[in-house]
Amino acid sequence: MSASASLLQLTGVTIRFGGLTAVSSVTADVREGELAGLIGPNGAGKTTLFNLITGVYQPTDGRIDFAGSGTAGRRPFHLTGLGIARTFQNIRLFPSLSVAENVRVAFHRHLRHRAWHSILRGRAFLAEEAELAERALELLGIFNLERFRDAPARSLSYGDQRRLEIVRALATRPRLLLLDEPAAGMNPSEKDELMRLIRFVRDRFGLAVLLVEHDMKVVMGICERIHVLEYGRKIAEGSPAEIRADPKVIAAYLGD
Amino acid sequence: MAIPKAQRWLLVALVLSGAASAVSGSIDPYFLDVVMGVGVGVVLASSLNLINGFTGQFSLGHAGFMAVGAYTSAMLSTVVAPRMGWGAGALQWVFFPASLVAGGLVAALAGLAVGAPSLRLKGDYLAIVTLGFGEIIRVVLQNVDAVGGARGLTGVPTHTNLLWTFGTASLTVYTVWALLESTRGRGFLAVADDEVAAEAMGLDTTRYKITAFGIGSFFAGVAGGLYAHLKGYLNPGGFSFEKSIEIVVMVILGGMGRHAGVVFAAILLTLLPEGLRELGSRSIPNPFGGPAWSLDWIKDARMILYSLLLILLMLLRPEGLFHRRQPRRPSS
Repeated sequence: MSASASLLQLTGVTIRFGGLTAVSSVTADVREGELAGLIGPNGAGKTTLFNLITGVYQPTDGRIDFAGSGTAGRRPFHLTGLGIARTFQNIRLFPSLSVAENVRVAFHRHLRHRAWHSILRGRAFLAEEAELAERALELLGIFNLERFRDAPARSLSYGDQRRLEIVRALATRPRLLLLDEPAAGMNPSEKDELMRLIRFVRDRFGLAVLLVEHDMKVVMGICERIHVLEYGRKIAEGSPAEIRADPKVIAAYLGD
Repeated sequence: MAIPKAQRWLLVALVLSGAASAVSGSIDPYFLDVVMGVGVGVVLASSLNLINGFTGQFSLGHAGFMAVGAYTSAMLSTVVAPRMGWGAGALQWVFFPASLVAGGLVAALAGLAVGAPSLRLKGDYLAIVTLGFGEIIRVVLQNVDAVGGARGLTGVPTHTNLLWTFGTASLTVYTVWALLESTRGRGFLAVADDEVAAEAMGLDTTRYKITAFGIGSFFAGVAGGLYAHLKGYLNPGGFSFEKSIEIVVMVILGGMGRHAGVVFAAILLTLLPEGLRELGSRSIPNPFGGPAWSLDWIKDARMILYSLLLILLMLLRPEGLFHRRQPRRPSS
């Protein structure tokens, strides 16, 4: 598999809600192992595009291919199983589960045991459960969250909750990780740390990252390629330097 | 997580039920009836806890599923069993449990039939659909002559004993507990917490909800079978909306999604009306001399006291009697 192969391919993707065309004929791609960014002014359709990629919405027109097969008609949990994981703009952890349980739940697509195994509680079931508990701790350890493992998820600080969301998404073993405004509400030093973290995650887990972000410092700092949306249309694509110099992008952000 | 211990507890519970059952001949029949009613209540409350407490779906049709199981197993016992030509022992120890399972399976089918199309609905809307289902079952039973119609179904053999009641209760509590106490089982809580996030983490939320409905209504059906063979008589009126509410109250009072809490609430709420009835037949001596004060008024005010107690409990402990962890639903 070459480094430049397209992992996610959007071709003429359009979605209309009644009379409103939220995303209009967007063609874009994310390559294997790439750190890609998706930017645009408020209401440009970035989160809608995320919801299309993850199967929350189905496109009115156009097609989305992931790892070489179409995603049309597939529900979000199925796409997660194929290797698309995401975090949410407004944190959506499971509040009644502990930190470690939040991660363990995300192993779901890779579980060997079935529901009735948990009733019989045989040796193989117990071994798998122990192994999963171990793996959850390992993942939490990478992000320095293991000391909170038994705490309720919502008792974590805001920054830790954001990081736990990333850990939880990683537990699904994705090939593509979608991050929806990961830097929202973070202070400058937390943002620096987040940038390091995203790069680290990409290298360590060998996955592609697509990032929606308002913070230009973060986007320009880590993305290798950036797609720009305005009013649901793609207006530019290129490296950070190209995007910074693009007159259409400057016009979209600063006005004509 | 000391897990094999769980199975040991289940075994202990089963053995205890058997032992109690063996000496039940010397227990006062009224008392026995009440105690077995408690066991049936525990089965009902624990199974509804899986649906309403852990999976966060609001079902108001549990009495309906119970009725399906009750009538199925009762019909098997009154129509099929006499033609089998089996002895009394075989009927009680082989045919009866099989009829309980059959009742449970039919109830589970009903649960899936109601669950599958209506699980797109949330909260109040699902409650209304399940409520409607329960009422349909009751009205149908009231109008089908083959099952006794409004007169009720009589002549059900009283096979239910302490072993069957508490054996089933232990199995129900164990099953719900074991199901939840696993990585896959934690998914039920995740679905209750946030369906969008659960789907994004690879959980098939529809399947979780249907599983909860299927297993929950299976045990409701088994509880119905136990109830039928405990009372020896079934009346559609006994499976009304109020019965469903009674079970929902047990789950809420026990603290939505607490295993022990819901068992405790089921015991408390089954005993409470009986206790008040008992209290009503007593009188207290008059400290000023003269005739003793009769507590007869409690008999009439029984349901009022019961309701007042519930209101008080909900005011003082809105998160239920038991809440070791934080309340499941954040109020903010």
